[in-house]
Amino acid sequence: MITLTHFLVVSACIFCIGLYAVLAKRNTIMILVGIELMINAAILNFVAFGKYDKVNYGGQVFAIFAIVLAAAAVAVGLAIILNVYRHFNTINPQNIHELKD
Amino acid sequence: MNTFLHISPVTASILVTLLPLFACLVQALIGKKSISGNIALVAIIASTGISLFGVFLPIWNETTTLQKWAWFTIGERTLEVGIHLNNLTVLMQLLVCIISLPVHIYSRAYMKNDEGIHRYWMYLSLFCFAMLGLTVSINLLQLYIFWELVGFASYLLIGFWFTKETAVQANKKAFLINRIGDIGFLIGIALVYAHCGTLDLSVLFNQTGTQIAIDKNATWVTFAGLAFFLGAMAKSAQFPLHVWLPDAMEGPTSVSSLIHAATMVAAGIFLLCTVFPLFNDTVLLVVSIIGTLTALSAAIFALGQYDIKKVLAFSTISQLGFMMVGVGIGAWNAAMFHLTTHAFFKCLLFLCAGAVIHEMAHLKAKAKLDIDPQDLRHLGGLRHFMPKTFTCMVVASLSLAGFPFTSGYLSKDSIVITAYEWANHLGGVYVLIPILLTIVSLLTAFYIGRLIFKTFFGDFKYRSYIDEGIVFHEAPSLMLVPMFFLAAGSLFPLFGISLTDYHSAWIMQTLDAGTHSPILAQAHLFIPILLTGGAILGWFMGWRWYVKQKYPLSENNRFVHFAYKQGYLNEFNEHIFVRGTTGLSRILYTFDRYVVDGFTKLFSWLVRQLSVVAYWFDKHIVDGIVNLLAGTMYYIGHLVRHVQNGQLQTYLGFALTIVVLGLLYLLIK
Amino acid sequence: MMIESLLFYAFAALAILSALLLVHIRNIARALFLLFIVLFSMAGLYLFALADFIAITQILVYVGGVLILLIFAFMLSNKELLDDLQSSSKRFISLPNWQAIILALAFLSLMIYSYISWAQDMPEWISQAEAKGRMILPTDNNIKILGFKFMTQYVLPFEVISVFLMMALIGAAHLSRKESNK
Repeated sequence: MITLTHFLVVSACIFCIGLYAVLAKRNTIMILVGIELMINAAILNFVAFGKYDKVNYGGQVFAIFAIVLAAAAVAVGLAIILNVYRHFNTINPQNIHELKD
Repeated sequence: MNTFLHISPVTASILVTLLPLFACLVQALIGKKSISGNIALVAIIASTGISLFGVFLPIWNETTTLQKWAWFTIGERTLEVGIHLNNLTVLMQLLVCIISLPVHIYSRAYMKNDEGIHRYWMYLSLFCFAMLGLTVSINLLQLYIFWELVGFASYLLIGFWFTKETAVQANKKAFLINRIGDIGFLIGIALVYAHCGTLDLSVLFNQTGTQIAIDKNATWVTFAGLAFFLGAMAKSAQFPLHVWLPDAMEGPTSVSSLIHAATMVAAGIFLLCTVFPLFNDTVLLVVSIIGTLTALSAAIFALGQYDIKKVLAFSTISQLGFMMVGVGIGAWNAAMFHLTTHAFFKCLLFLCAGAVIHEMAHLKAKAKLDIDPQDLRHLGGLRHFMPKTFTCMVVASLSLAGFPFTSGYLSKDSIVITAYEWANHLGGVYVLIPILLTIVSLLTAFYIGRLIFKTFFGDFKYRSYIDEGIVFHEAPSLMLVPMFFLAAGSLFPLFGISLTDYHSAWIMQTLDAGTHSPILAQAHLFIPILLTGGAILGWFMGWRWYVKQKYPLSENNRFVHFAYKQGYLNEFNEHIFVRGTTGLSRILYTFDRYVVDGFTKLFSWLVRQLSVVAYWFDKHIVDGIVNLLAGTMYYIGHLVRHVQNGQLQTYLGFALTIVVLGLLYLLIK
Repeated sequence: MMIESLLFYAFAALAILSALLLVHIRNIARALFLLFIVLFSMAGLYLFALADFIAITQILVYVGGVLILLIFAFMLSNKELLDDLQSSSKRFISLPNWQAIILALAFLSLMIYSYISWAQDMPEWISQAEAKGRMILPTDNNIKILGFKFMTQYVLPFEVISVFLMMALIGAAHLSRKESNK
């Protein structure tokens, strides 16, 4: 029997993997991938809960919006990465430390 | 007459005592300017006169007079000073004056041209003051004060020629040994005060016995008696504390005649006569035994001496032993009688010896000889050159030996015969004491005969010098007059009408000892005959040996050498006491230097080590903590610096850490 | 039921394992292909939540759009990018960033713990929904209802998000223009 908790656990795992990728990767594109994973995990969460909402279909509707947002985020993110690369000549976030005082 | 010029005897007695003191003080102030000694002479003449007429004649055979003044108070007890006049004390005071006067006159001639003569007069007056004060003291404390003063004056006079090493040693020895006696005296005083509550002589004793009841069987009485006897032993040169007296001959001969023959050494006997009611039988027996021992040993030592003065010194010790035996057998009046007669003839003997030495010293200086003027071996045949001195000396010697017609005969016989009566009364082994006394009398006659023969008979060794023209005088008249006076005193008429009966002597009649043993008539007859006959025999033997030079034994045989060395007593003292004390002091010095100083050094070393430790502590731990703190802060700052490294992921990581912690907190809550 | 559970576990395992592998691979190209697998597995999982339309939309948009975009962006990038990656690791498997791992694990444990303790105690609306039968059934026509919802209840967000998408794309295009001569 697949309960709600199963979905939630899977979603948590994916989310944490995505979190690890954001924190530990030395390639900005991989960070973007990590963000994608996190958003995916969130969408899975929505969908899992949406099963119990026949009245409003809230979960599934919001899942669609989230997918759209994710796509937009990727697009803009890539544009930013391109600009960063043009400016710093590197995509290793650890080499970009102009914020350091 | 009760008063002389309306001065009470007490005041007269005070005057007698204080006049020599004034003389001493004046002489001290004037110093070197007065060398004739007139001040001292005037003082002593005045003292003698006042003593005879103002003190002796009013008090002798009359009642006891005394006066005291409070001196100081401790708590409820008061101690006084004062004058105590009874038969015994006035006799003693008069005797001191009468013997001092000839000695003062004699000293003017004897000590002439001496460098320190001004000091001599000062010390002599000091001694007279102390001795006179001693005789009339009211209580034992005052007596002790004067006792010490007399010892001090003796010290000063023995060491008069202080540049001589032997003189310095001698006066030190005299003072130390007298100190031993003084401890005894002090213990006796303490015991009497503790048990009787008073030191006053008039309250404690009088001539008829004690006024305060003293249980003679109590142990403290024995100890007190022995303690007083110890004091008398040192002062009156009893065996074994006699060793200072021969060495005291380092002083001038006039000093020896006054102090160490007649007066100071008699002070011990005087003390024992004063506290006589205190003694119980045990103490008296001890006194007798030691007196006999002293008499015998000193007579033996006198046989082997070569120095004139040393022979006379041992003779003094021997006669003091006689007097002690007199006290011991209970006949202290006989002891006082012998003391008085002994004062006269012994002083005379010393003065004559002094005359001889004086002339020999002149000869030595003029002829540039290297001899000891006092040595008997250099003398001989002097009767041709000094006939008057010779006469006086013979008179004195006869008196010493106890030959009839002399005063010495009466006093010595009184002691010996009383000893026989005492021994006869007690029986048994006690007869040994009189027998020994008889032997000592015979020895006395022999050694004094030896002295006379060796000095005045035979041939004079240095006659050749005199033939060459160096003059050898008779003694000057200033010396002869005192000598004649004393010689007159050595003959019997001064002391009693009867030639042979000593009981009729006026001293014996007034001083009553209170103890009488049954009279032995045979003793009264046989003993004088025995003693006189023995003396004549001894002189005959001496004539043969010393004048005819028929000496049977070799010159330096063992017996003579033993006697000459005074029985090796001085060596014994040196080894045991002197070396022992110096060894102890050396040990203590080492102890002080290494142990006590060692402790101090150890302590200082410890403190220094402590300071090193404290320094280390301060440098490494105290500074270390501060440095550690600073280092930790630096390290933490160094670590935390990396938080702001400008890296995106780091910032994100920190943010998420806080979020996790917040969630954790919420979950736990 | 058994098959269903098994399939669910299979899809879940696939997704998780691919994601794990994804974050370990050094080669980005291969990583992106693993992402492709992850996305497909997620779509499968959506199906088990009875969200068929979302699954299809995921495949269409995510896989067909985003993933392709990433692949093209990566493939068409400079050689320096590739070099930059190769040089960063000397060893075959280097020690991953331990702070990130700890953080991720902490998050994971926190979330799982809270889910499990929450599972005992479901909120009311879920239990009421179960009780009153207002759950989505597999026999429901999701697309039809979703279409209705979009055009009636959610028409405003729908419009807004389309405008937003347009803005984003224009913005991205503007950002990444080539500035040839300034």
